[in-house]
Amino acid sequence: MTAAAIEARGLGKDFGTIRALEQLDLDVRAGEFFGLLGPNGAGKTTTVHLLATLLAPTRGTARVVGHDVVRDDLAVRRAIGLVFQETTLDRDLTVQENLRFAGRLWNLPGPLAVPRIEGLVRQFGLLERRDDPVRTLSGGMRRAADLARGMLHEPRVLFLDEPTAGLDPRARRSLWELIGRLRQASGLTVFLTTHYVEEAEPCDRVAVMDHGRLVALGTPAELKRTTGVTSLEEVFLARTGHALGETGAG
Amino acid sequence: MRAVYGIVVRELVRFLRQRGRVLASIGRPFVWLIFAGAGYAAVFAGRNEIDYRVYMAPGLLGMVVMFGALLAALSTVTDRDAGVLRMVLVAPIRRGTIALGKALGATVLGTTQAVVVAALLLPLVHLRPSIAGALLAAVAVVLSSLAMGALGLALAASIRSLENFAGVMNFVVFPMLFLSGALYPVRHLGPVLRLVAYVNPLAYGVDLLKHALLGAWASAGYGGEMSSWLDIAALVGFAVVGLVAAAPLLAREGGVTRTAFRQRV
Repeated sequence: MTAAAIEARGLGKDFGTIRALEQLDLDVRAGEFFGLLGPNGAGKTTTVHLLATLLAPTRGTARVVGHDVVRDDLAVRRAIGLVFQETTLDRDLTVQENLRFAGRLWNLPGPLAVPRIEGLVRQFGLLERRDDPVRTLSGGMRRAADLARGMLHEPRVLFLDEPTAGLDPRARRSLWELIGRLRQASGLTVFLTTHYVEEAEPCDRVAVMDHGRLVALGTPAELKRTTGVTSLEEVFLARTGHALGETGAG
Repeated sequence: MRAVYGIVVRELVRFLRQRGRVLASIGRPFVWLIFAGAGYAAVFAGRNEIDYRVYMAPGLLGMVVMFGALLAALSTVTDRDAGVLRMVLVAPIRRGTIALGKALGATVLGTTQAVVVAALLLPLVHLRPSIAGALLAAVAVVLSSLAMGALGLALAASIRSLENFAGVMNFVVFPMLFLSGALYPVRHLGPVLRLVAYVNPLAYGVDLLKHALLGAWASAGYGGEMSSWLDIAALVGFAVVGLVAAAPLLAREGGVTRTAFRQRV
């Protein structure tokens, strides 16, 4: 399995005079667990939104599972799952109603959607809460429900944009267990953005991003070895001249 | 079209769950009937020819449609604030499909509310429409809901926050209501206001409802003031304009990162 799940060539985005993403060249292999590491404002979310067809690129091209993000946006959206930084569930509807709604948006016929929802709700530990409104769920459960929503149409590439933001350590751990199980079960490609080094550590490869530019790319071990340091934190410091915790300029 | 169905179902479930909204939408026209009706009836020029409360009935149904469909369109603003719109935008459907689903949701809500209110209001004012009249009234209610829903959607999609929407409601809803012929005939207005009434979608809806319900008083000058075909054509036109305008505006939500950037810089 060496087919590219994501290919970006000179991909860039400007917002007015701000260059959110300079020129990104990137290949993510099918089945890969890929991490995009960088501080807030580095251009991570912009990258995800460009690849997910939510933004139109200012320059360059990108293909996701072979489909062009501009010309073939529907095919791209059909093939990907996307979990945003903040929940996108309707807080007034129950978990089950939200998933039914998502199933209809993704054009899944009832007989297909119902058992799939049942399976996801069970797998994600939401069985007892599925008839409760989303607003009554804890942050961790809400995230799990978001993830269930993102997986409902069995995407080939799953984008996780800062998925653990605002979660306590225990909820974080259980979310990662879930994602690990999903990857093992389906050979899913996972594209993760994060500003936590410990979340980038288990990735197959990590791209380090700062000020809209890619500053390093490789396996965590390679990055540490070539930089001559022992942690990804130090990799970031060595390659950018500032610490990861310090927000890069907007 | 499963997506359209999904969007409509969600609108309905949300509406029925908000008990206050259901009660307000059904109670509002009766509050107007009692308070405005009592006052205007005494000064209304046509009091010898038509009971003012009968005259008001089509306008009140138009009002129910307006509030029903506009408030449904309002949910687009809350969808955006709550992030739900993003779930819809990342689904493999066209922007036009989203707009259509939202507008049809507003149509179903506006129509249902108007039918419930009509069932209570018309017997109360002793207005018994003919079968043809009832059918035409149904057409009027559906088309007005669609037009108001589509225009409300375009409005809601172009607005960033809920606070703005409240302002727009005040500067749009009340002028629209008063210049619709719901409370007095449009022909009594001065030329400028009459001109404004002609670009008011509610005016065509109310006019069509008058054709449907006040046919018996048409010769006395209290029926519809324009041709029913013009009313129908205008409502369809407003619906199309609203949908065409709303679709690209909804897609602008893609610019979430843009907003995030502005805030950070």
